[in-house]
Amino acid sequence: MPIPSPDEKLAWIRLEPPTEEELRGLELLRPGDYEIGFQRTNDILDEALEVFQRSCRSSMGIAGDVMVALFTAQGDLVNAAAGTYLHAIIQPIIVKYIRKYYSENPGIAEGDVWCANDALYGGIHNPDVVCLVPIFYNGELIAWAGAANHTTETGAIEPGGMPVSATARFQEGLNLPPAKIGEKGQLRNDWLELFGAFGIRAPQMVITDLKARATAADRVRIRLVELAEREGKDWVVGLFRRMMNVAEEGARKRVRSWPDGKYRAVAFSDAVGTTQGLVRSAYLTLVKDGESLVFDFAGTSPENLSSYHAHVQAVVGHIANYVYSNVFYDLPISSATFAPMEFRIPRGTVLNPDDRAATSCSVMIATGAMSAAPNAFAKMMFSTQDWRRVTASASNAGNAMIIAGLTQWGLPFADMLAYSINTEGQGGRTTLKGMDSFGFPWCPFGRAPDVELMENEFPMLIPISQHWPDSCGHGKYRGGVGTVQVWVAHQAPAVFPMVFFAAIADNSKIQTPQGLFGGYAPCTVPGMAVRDADLVRRLKEDSGSVTLNFGELIKKGAINGVWENEFMGRAVRPYNNGDIMTFGFSAGGAGYGDPLEADPEAVAEDVRNRALSLSAANLIYRVAYDPETDVVDHVETDRLRTEERKQRLDLGKSFKKFTAEWSELRPPDAILAVYGEWPSAAPAQPVMRM
Amino acid sequence: MGERKIRVTEYLDLDVDAEAWLCHVCGHRLGDGRTNYKEGCSVRARDPREIHPPRIEGEFTFAPDPNWVRVLEFHCPGCGTQVETEYLPPGHPVTHDIEIDIDRLRGRLDSGELIILDGRLAVREEA
Repeated sequence: MPIPSPDEKLAWIRLEPPTEEELRGLELLRPGDYEIGFQRTNDILDEALEVFQRSCRSSMGIAGDVMVALFTAQGDLVNAAAGTYLHAIIQPIIVKYIRKYYSENPGIAEGDVWCANDALYGGIHNPDVVCLVPIFYNGELIAWAGAANHTTETGAIEPGGMPVSATARFQEGLNLPPAKIGEKGQLRNDWLELFGAFGIRAPQMVITDLKARATAADRVRIRLVELAEREGKDWVVGLFRRMMNVAEEGARKRVRSWPDGKYRAVAFSDAVGTTQGLVRSAYLTLVKDGESLVFDFAGTSPENLSSYHAHVQAVVGHIANYVYSNVFYDLPISSATFAPMEFRIPRGTVLNPDDRAATSCSVMIATGAMSAAPNAFAKMMFSTQDWRRVTASASNAGNAMIIAGLTQWGLPFADMLAYSINTEGQGGRTTLKGMDSFGFPWCPFGRAPDVELMENEFPMLIPISQHWPDSCGHGKYRGGVGTVQVWVAHQAPAVFPMVFFAAIADNSKIQTPQGLFGGYAPCTVPGMAVRDADLVRRLKEDSGSVTLNFGELIKKGAINGVWENEFMGRAVRPYNNGDIMTFGFSAGGAGYGDPLEADPEAVAEDVRNRALSLSAANLIYRVAYDPETDVVDHVETDRLRTEERKQRLDLGKSFKKFTAEWSELRPPDAILAVYGEWPSAAPAQPVMRM
Repeated sequence: MGERKIRVTEYLDLDVDAEAWLCHVCGHRLGDGRTNYKEGCSVRARDPREIHPPRIEGEFTFAPDPNWVRVLEFHCPGCGTQVETEYLPPGHPVTHDIEIDIDRLRGRLDSGELIILDGRLAVREEA
């Protein structure tokens, strides 16, 4: 069986032509059937999503970072409860692969459970596991159901499923092409053992989540069979085709209304794996021509020896995260809404690497595409009736922090904790600031988990969970701020008195999202830890000596111990009980518009609520606010802002003069090792993997 | 025919017939609508630490590193409004972010397929 090529995978995301059966089914739909039927699929998927979330064991599953979807018999996505939009849009690749290569041997039968996690075959990265079940009615295949979420462990060279040190796919643990892991409605024990063996660091989480996926997909199957029983099989397949027709028509109509042209955006990141270095993670030219949108990523940095690569469908998935959250939020989550879109992603870039490349951290490098998309769409849509759909980029940091070891209950575990990823800041909007700690840009459904649950599940203590001021990009409408927790290793059992920690992250030297329309990007995020910290002891013995406020805790001397100041992405290392393993940051969203246009009273309110510092209010927003009297001096604010605008022009240069000087500059060679040729990002050297 | 002007960004208008970029705040002409509007702006390259001040000592301080990135601010020469920003590595080419096909846009307006409502494009059936 061949590995599907990038072009084949991109083609499989596109809609199949309607079958004779679907066309016949369309004729059966009566007035109102579409609306009722569409809602019925929503209800089915929502029910299954609830079942899924309640059945999960992993932090991300419990927090709602999950997806359940419904597909046609041919494999096209009809609708989804998501969740993780990126998981929904790419699953047709898996279904179509199964249909093409496995229809005869081993065959597709009622009661099957299929599974895959290999990005070469259509996944996002190997910790993201999907279970798919074919749905038969009276012996005929009428649909597929799928459920996907991020597993906690893959048996890679580091715990947690996203080995930040991997240099090739051979270090990523389990990479499973589509395989039949269940028959006659039951998961096979030999396959469960295989997952347990690869998940030996956290078997109860891996196995429980696997069963949760199969259970959720099967709930969709049960309800869809009931629907076919009541309305007829032909009615169901006709409904599906109608849903796709309406979705495609809606998407094309919207795209058609925008001005034709080219819209460009660039994004950078500052690391690949544990290697710090500048990367042009997305160089996007979005070409809008009639009803067509072409995403061209020529000029993106070349592949490298790390796990920071994304296969092409993962890039599409990350575009889908933005598109379904904003541009098409009111259209079905369906292959049909992507019908107007075409993707051109050059082979040999970080977004289309060789088959041997490690891609387990694809979600990190794909933050470039996910951050470039909002800016390109904004510049295409703002002049239209869709202008309110415009937002600055969310933080898109995905500070994925892993802990592993033995819990205080003696159970082996390895998990990515959901708090720091599910509480990122939203980008500033056209008429409002971005929401603070709005959610997970990869899954707007995701929620911040209860701290008490985290402390119960893992050997850790979390003394603070707060917004951190100025984490947003400033602007007329600032981005939403992110959160910070303090993670103390706590009550790790005596037989294994340490907790392993790793962070899959970047954005310590440069932030990936850009501001929009004069707004600023968010600040960067350091890796911070304190070994031999006295925090817990002082909380026990003299709690009055500790101010549990982020701004106070990072002041010199606030916590005694050995402070570590590092890049945010960190390879796995042990911490002892009492050590602060990390300050767990989620990042803020990008800012929208000129900060000098921000409402001074809103700025003052942000200072009161500790979303902004007084310093930022004074220096960036030029607001004369006195926190002692709680009064904004509007006359003085106007004066300061007028002065600032004048200073901008006094210090600015003409574009011609600026360009003459700017083009002579170049980043230090030491940080260009993985960028490619400067500045074109053309491949500078071949990448050899064992 | 009256002035056909659309609001392309928060601070940027495009006069479709004059083929010119204009500041939305003060009306200052920022240049040829077929070129990059940034060429008509006053440009200031800033150390990112001026916008994102360091908060702690050490190599990683919450502030972007000026060896890696500078903050380019594009201001309207007429009123000082900050039209756009870009965070770019030193020397990296400025992005030509908006390149509207003006001929096609004018054609769609002339044919009546699109109209301008409150400074924004609308499909005629939506009018």
